[in-house]
Amino acid sequence: MSAAVAAGTRPRRISLADLTRTGAAVWIVLLAAVLALTVADAGGFWAPANIANVLTATVVLGLAALGQHLVVLSGGIDLSIGSAATLSALLTALLINGYPIRTAPVVIGMLLLGGLIGVLHGLLVARVGLPPFIVTLATLYLIQGAAFTISTTPTGRVTSALSAVALERIGPVPYSFAVLVLAVAVVAFVLARTAFGRQLYAVGGDPAAARANGVPVARVLVTAYVLAGVLAALAGVLLAARATVGSPTAGLGLELSTITVVVLGGTSLLGGRGSLVGTLGGVLLLSLVSSSVTLLQLPATLTDLIRGVVILAAAAIFVTRARR
Amino acid sequence: MTSSTAAVLQARGLTKSFPGVRALDRADLTCRSGRVHALVGENGAGKSTLVRILTGNQLPDEGEVLLDGRSVRFADPREAMAEGVSAVYQELTVLPAMSVGDNVMLGQERTSRGLIDRAAQDREVRAALARVGLGDLDPRTRAEDLSLANQQMVEIARALVRRSRVIVLDEPSAVLSGDKLESLFTVVRGLAADGVAIVYISHLLEEVTDLADDVTVLRDGRVVSTGPAGDYDVPRIIRDMVGRDVDAVFPPLPEPADEVVLAVRGLVPVSSTRSPVALDLDVRAGEIVGVAGMVGSGRSRLLRTIAGEHPRAAGTVEVAGRPVPTGTRRAIAAGVALVPEERKTEGLVLPLSVRANTTLAALGQVLRGGFLSTRRERVVFQEEQARLGIKASDPEQGTWQLSGGNQQKIVLAKWLRRGPRVLLLDEPTRGVDVGAKSEIYRLVTGLAVEGMAVVMVSSDLPEVLGLSHRVLVCRGGGVVGELAGDDINEENVMHVALDTAGTSR
Repeated sequence: MSAAVAAGTRPRRISLADLTRTGAAVWIVLLAAVLALTVADAGGFWAPANIANVLTATVVLGLAALGQHLVVLSGGIDLSIGSAATLSALLTALLINGYPIRTAPVVIGMLLLGGLIGVLHGLLVARVGLPPFIVTLATLYLIQGAAFTISTTPTGRVTSALSAVALERIGPVPYSFAVLVLAVAVVAFVLARTAFGRQLYAVGGDPAAARANGVPVARVLVTAYVLAGVLAALAGVLLAARATVGSPTAGLGLELSTITVVVLGGTSLLGGRGSLVGTLGGVLLLSLVSSSVTLLQLPATLTDLIRGVVILAAAAIFVTRARR
Repeated sequence: MTSSTAAVLQARGLTKSFPGVRALDRADLTCRSGRVHALVGENGAGKSTLVRILTGNQLPDEGEVLLDGRSVRFADPREAMAEGVSAVYQELTVLPAMSVGDNVMLGQERTSRGLIDRAAQDREVRAALARVGLGDLDPRTRAEDLSLANQQMVEIARALVRRSRVIVLDEPSAVLSGDKLESLFTVVRGLAADGVAIVYISHLLEEVTDLADDVTVLRDGRVVSTGPAGDYDVPRIIRDMVGRDVDAVFPPLPEPADEVVLAVRGLVPVSSTRSPVALDLDVRAGEIVGVAGMVGSGRSRLLRTIAGEHPRAAGTVEVAGRPVPTGTRRAIAAGVALVPEERKTEGLVLPLSVRANTTLAALGQVLRGGFLSTRRERVVFQEEQARLGIKASDPEQGTWQLSGGNQQKIVLAKWLRRGPRVLLLDEPTRGVDVGAKSEIYRLVTGLAVEGMAVVMVSSDLPEVLGLSHRVLVCRGGGVVGELAGDDINEENVMHVALDTAGTSR
């Protein structure tokens, strides 16, 4: 009898479930997709401009998905991420309106606004006890409505310095990619090395258990939604930077994309289980799918169909199944 | 001796009411450091409410909690923990997806400059694990890979990390058996020797008299008696708990008829066992066959295979001479009813009313012009309520509000509406208190008298011994022995179940 068994553990083999849980599964699919694209059109796919396209697509999605990842880990869901990004993008362009001196204060203001939205979510969920789905469904409409009230058409103008962050690149790597890398590093560090990170898994896994063990459940939930709000606002700033103007539909559908990549990455929508590595793999995979439609000169209208097929196929194989 | 050690935690006149019920009525409790204080009582006697108040999960309506003689008011478990009062709940709060170390430190994370101090945490975790006898367990192990017994030890380790002076153990033995129980006792005694005050809640009265230094018995929210454990033996505890003697727990068994109702031939459940033992079994009308064996010996699977819920690898099942096909619906139609082990998830639809649960398996009886008639459903419920003695305020009461015993009666009522010939019972009295148990025993023997064939799986050995004409013993996925008549006793069952005769395994 081995020591592990003696200590009461069951020995286990690496299984598909483990691959899913650790987020490795989606990377395998990603690798397969890259191989397929290399075979289909090596020159086009590996061209720096195309790689830059893919990476650019990951930035906004990735930032927003980091926030969604945190909220889903907490056992919730944030449907307002898209409209929060929209409002942030619209206000960024409108308030900067071409004046370089306004850039920094406006960007900081947007992050604060995102944080404020998060505080509202967190309090409604943790203190009032409303379901996250309902709360953020309501704010999805509220925030989108606010954006339309401000403007129904693209408006404002970001500075050239800000748009350079989104549009210029070194070789295949856009500057804005550094923003994503930094954000990933911060979130990964927070999850792994702070008490909040540990407690987030506990709150999402079993709120009653967390409370019984003295975890400040409300504070943890509010923090998760605040981080999600700030990240959504940051995604909005980069949306504005990329478009150079602010559009009241800039972040349309982003909330669904973020849920998609979080789920593809093997994170449980029930909360408490998830891998950041998996979510990042999901971000890359979805970005790859969108940009490859253009690369392979397929009609753009196919994007949604392909997305649906990819999600269903991946889910059938990898997604954490509901356990009975 | 009792007064030589100081009282750490005291409850004085605690009263708590919920709509329609006084859960706790002027209850007192005194916990002294270094002593194990057993808290016993039937389900609903107020143990949980008392514990919830002591640990900050609930505030009392009246009365006070004293810590070292000073009045305290815990509005939140955090506050109780900060004062050194922790609980290990019956429903384990170990998070399966987290590591053992993270679980032990949950809510007590040691940080330096905002970051988790891994070295400090690791030291604490290892020290706490060592004290609960898991010194050689790697703290990085995922909690879901631990046995239930060890998950429970992780919970106790948590309480140690919090420097708890009072630890409440709520039914710690519910998930344990045999040597696991012994090691729990060793840990509990060790904690007491270190000066921790232990409150120990249990249904198993033998272990109470074994382990405890003091005993407090609760009934209907009141403290019935309290005193040193030496003053108590099992019969006295039961008397105090129930308020009367319960010697006539098992009603006399009826004489079975000659007619074979259930005939099982060569039945083998689909399973991973290499050498399955085929089951041949005849159960006559009015006969009760008990199935014993350790947890995991395949008892439940066998039962579910007879009921058509679990696929058969081989064999046939006949009821009153007619073959029973596989498939739950078809087996039900053939006259087989299974009262499942998981009452709350498989036996009942908890959010529905007691009326709706009672008629669920036989909706055809309550149709009127092709549509459900609530009026007819109520009539059906009231018939069963009278027949089985179901304690429910009215037909629309939510099933989740009933006690375990009354819930189990609803499950029985649901199947009885279909007039089954064969009744399969899986752990029929789990989570049911002493009084309701004997009622269920009477109901089951009553059904046998009416000509039903009964097969009952139970982990409660006295129940199997007291209620069965014959006892089948399971081991390793199949039935390995059968006892009848005077051979039915505890030793014989355990010998077969554990294979102590030394035959191969």
